[in-house]
Amino acid sequence: MNAFRKSLLGLSTALFLSPLAAMAQSGDAVTIVLPGGPDRLDPCETPRSVIGRIIKQNVVETLVELDYAKQTTIPRLAESWEQTSPTTWRFNLRKGVQFHDGTPFDAASVVYSLERTLDPKLTCITRTKYFGGVDITAKAIDENTVEFTTKTPMPILPTLLAQLAIASTKTPKGEYTAEPIGTGPYDFVSWTQGENVKIKRFDGYWGEKPKIVDATYVWRSESSVAAAMVETGEADLAFSIAPQDATNPETDKVYPNSDSAMFRLSADIAPLNDVRVREAFNLAIDRKAFLGSIISDKAELATQQVGPSVLGHNSKLVPWPYDPEQAKALLAEAKAAGIPVDTEIRMIGRPGMFANSNEFVEAAAEMLRAVGFKIKLDNLEMTQWLEAANKPFAAGRQANALLTMHDNNSGDAQFTAFFKYHSDGRQSEIHDAKVDKLITDAGMASGEERAKLYQETFRYIYEDLVADAPLFHMVNYMRVGKRLDFTPTIANAVELQLAKLVVKQPS
Amino acid sequence: MGNFIYKRSLQSLLSLALLIVLVFFLARLTGSPADLYLPLDATEEMRDQFNQRFGFDDPVYVQFFRFLGGLLQFDLGESIQYSKPAVEVVLQAFPTTLMLAAITMPIVIVVAIVTGSLAAFRPGGLFDRIASLISLIGASTPNFWVAIVGVIVFAVWLRVLPTSGTGTPWHWVLPIAVLCLRPTGVLVQVVRSSMITALSSAYVKTARAKGVRARAIVFVHALRNALLPVITVASDQAAGIVNGAVIVETVFGFPGIGKLMIDSVLLRDFAVIQAAVLVTALAVFIINIVVDITYALVDPRIRHS
Amino acid sequence: MRSSIHASGTAEMARPAQAAPSAFRDIASSLARDKVALVSAAFLVVVMVCVVLGPTLLADQARAMNLMQRNAAPFSLDRPWLYILGADALGRSVLARIIVASQNTMLIAGTAVLTSLVIGGALGLVAGFKGGAISAILLRLADAIMSFPSLLLAVIVLFVFEPGVANVILVLAISRVPIFLRTVRAEVLELKERLFVTSARAMGASTPRILFRHVAPMVMPTVINLAALEMAFVMLVESGLSFLGIGIQPPEITWGLMVSDGRNYIGSAWWVAFWPGLAIMLVTMSLNLFSNWLRVATDPVERWRLQTSAE
Repeated sequence: MNAFRKSLLGLSTALFLSPLAAMAQSGDAVTIVLPGGPDRLDPCETPRSVIGRIIKQNVVETLVELDYAKQTTIPRLAESWEQTSPTTWRFNLRKGVQFHDGTPFDAASVVYSLERTLDPKLTCITRTKYFGGVDITAKAIDENTVEFTTKTPMPILPTLLAQLAIASTKTPKGEYTAEPIGTGPYDFVSWTQGENVKIKRFDGYWGEKPKIVDATYVWRSESSVAAAMVETGEADLAFSIAPQDATNPETDKVYPNSDSAMFRLSADIAPLNDVRVREAFNLAIDRKAFLGSIISDKAELATQQVGPSVLGHNSKLVPWPYDPEQAKALLAEAKAAGIPVDTEIRMIGRPGMFANSNEFVEAAAEMLRAVGFKIKLDNLEMTQWLEAANKPFAAGRQANALLTMHDNNSGDAQFTAFFKYHSDGRQSEIHDAKVDKLITDAGMASGEERAKLYQETFRYIYEDLVADAPLFHMVNYMRVGKRLDFTPTIANAVELQLAKLVVKQPS
Repeated sequence: MGNFIYKRSLQSLLSLALLIVLVFFLARLTGSPADLYLPLDATEEMRDQFNQRFGFDDPVYVQFFRFLGGLLQFDLGESIQYSKPAVEVVLQAFPTTLMLAAITMPIVIVVAIVTGSLAAFRPGGLFDRIASLISLIGASTPNFWVAIVGVIVFAVWLRVLPTSGTGTPWHWVLPIAVLCLRPTGVLVQVVRSSMITALSSAYVKTARAKGVRARAIVFVHALRNALLPVITVASDQAAGIVNGAVIVETVFGFPGIGKLMIDSVLLRDFAVIQAAVLVTALAVFIINIVVDITYALVDPRIRHS
Repeated sequence: MRSSIHASGTAEMARPAQAAPSAFRDIASSLARDKVALVSAAFLVVVMVCVVLGPTLLADQARAMNLMQRNAAPFSLDRPWLYILGADALGRSVLARIIVASQNTMLIAGTAVLTSLVIGGALGLVAGFKGGAISAILLRLADAIMSFPSLLLAVIVLFVFEPGVANVILVLAISRVPIFLRTVRAEVLELKERLFVTSARAMGASTPRILFRHVAPMVMPTVINLAALEMAFVMLVESGLSFLGIGIQPPEITWGLMVSDGRNYIGSAWWVAFWPGLAIMLVTMSLNLFSNWLRVATDPVERWRLQTSAE
């Protein structure tokens, strides 16, 4: 086969004057393939991977940076910080830093960026995902000192600020921007709708100058095409390719993407309102069989909605075994107790939620049918899926198992627990006084205590309530071209610091 | 003739109006965009604010009249996803698709006419069988499949073409080849059938009797008579190129209007859907009018029907 | 004038019907002579058998997953014969799935094309024969539908309603009505000035009678040829919908859905998408070749012409 390909290659080069010569990459420029294109490039939307992977820490920077490996925070635009009272924090800013538009980076710009992000006129994901319910204000003490005040104690404020990108005061308030102005090592150049985004090294950068000068971001929704682009050298790095396309261990590297998949069960509606039925649901899915087949073998079986890198993850929980006999027995027991186990359950998926997710729900539905569940499969597109996922739930809806994938790359369980499990959480199917109290208490605590409370929350939900069917902590495959030396980490779920890319052999 | 064009344009405007009504109300049946754009914990107040900003809080008929009012001033509303005027978003994407279509159609027509008439020259002969086979394969292969196989074969194995994207003329080769496939397949069949009919008609026989060289008969006399249905199907296929464009643009990462339309439905960006449908429909209507005028020129009877 | 086949030029007189048995024998022997048509017909019969019996015989095999032999290669002798065409991403037999999917595929394509043929054909007859305001309105409506990209229309409609088999059929049928309407109208326009129509009219025949007894049969050959091509189109659009993620939903299967699912594995397991694609192709080809033959075989004028021009 190889010889065949080579001879074809020779033939083709002889026939055509290779049109590819024009596309060869020069040494200090990189092209990066994303799975989807951005709709805006606003600094306040960096937690969205499609935006963060382009601009976060490249164009716009944060005061604090997360060190995922050590579960800790490191300084970036802030040099140091201290908690001056339970509700106030003081941050000392780096001096002599300039925005790309020439305006100086100072306390006023930090205050401006926080205000802009929290402005309800703009639906900034940074606000809604991380600052929701946090009553926070910032005040400039002097040119290089900012004081943050929260209404209630906020022990993880630095973690929170790792999500707040600082933009120039020339970024308009109340409307999204398509031209981010930050302090990062790269200056925004252009965004051609539907085509590409270009950024260029910023010579006035305060820190070490990165090697790469120009970066172009393109997007391809078909994984096979994205993989082909790197293989042919048209691009240097493809962010996520499907497991079946990751065939070359030399270039295809796996990294946890902080996504956790699960089936959320409607625990109020028959037949899922019975704990035995929910246990049977868990026992009927052969999770291990998926690993190495349609899900990467590097993915991990999940027992909760947050991954191991998140503070509050409970590592003592044991994944559900695959035990169809036990599942059948439990269903029979529930049936004998008068539970209508034959009632149809709607399984709700979404195409493209993760690579091969269609195949996954199809297979899971078959496994559940095999033990006696009656499953109706619905793959919904985003809007319809959100209607099913979010409160208020439709009146009179049927029992459902909703496939969700939750990403928490903040490093703290708070951003998961409330939203997924608190009675007032927008995507919570449960209302349990004990869960509510645990979540509220954990949010106020810090350090060991905080971790313990969250761990207990996840244990209680998993072992006692059996509120859902956790599936996998997912991984992505990144294809890194031969020109680059780079090993992806969980941080790459939402960012890719070009400064960390090493070009092996400048051509 | 001038009267005919005038009447025909007026009729097209009527169809356009119908289409606008159709797309406006159909799009709104797909559900509210608020859920997509607002955070999960959005308060009622934020929802109201969002709906107010884009005018979704008014009854649908009020929204419709406002849309009509805007239309008169070439204002098709604001794109929710891009936060800029929908017209701007659409006009940025339109040239790519127009270019794809403008290159594809001439290739399709020339290839189909040459192949189809050669095949019709000797029905059941070897060339006819091969041409029929290939054209039917072309007409029945899913284009996304061809597109991906094309990338693997020509870009990855042979390394003669780029995988995807725009930039050099080479980038256009694969997408256009894929786009050509189905229309060419269909049109070859049509040309062939028309030509067979035309070839057996009385005047061709007369020409044959007169001893004009056979090949000349095919291309001059028969072709002219066979052209009508060919033009018709060609115009239908031209309109259908938008369908192919959706898929080609998705696979090859082309910034065209086909992909934009589908994305806009997914994202409930009503203003963009409306603007995109309007612009493509305008283009299709212009093609239709040109086709009808061609008919009228070729066949005067049609002018009166 | 949206006809794929130009109207026959000189068929001015209604032909006297032949005695049925001899006509049948004629056709049968003509089919036996034309090898291509014979093979096409045989293949279509096989497909029809799959359509009727497939789901009852192989439904369980088509659903049986075996993740251990996912993407198993075709033509392996170690596995049961059902895996002769290989297995898909979930380790299901591709052959069994193709056979079972034939029912939905043919049901969708056949019903959609038949519906648009009947509706479009009837409206086309009326538009062509009556002309005037009715014709104008119908044509403007057809224009409006035709200029609405059919994939987009399908996407919107399937978002509003559930993407079940019935709705997919409905949306595909609606989007193809105009092509039949225009084709039939164009044919009728030409036919209605012909001798046999004017004479029927002179003899006092009612309009419906003229339309359905005299005009409709003359239009049929063209319409059947068009329908054969449209079958392919409908199968492909249905596949395109699956590509965009909004077509038929599993556990229902169609060939289009299978191709779409298999595209993710073209690089690693080509057979998953290839066989169902081949099925679509072969059906299209058989339908077209068979309908071409049918047109010629059932129309003595055409047959005579073919012989002359191929002399």
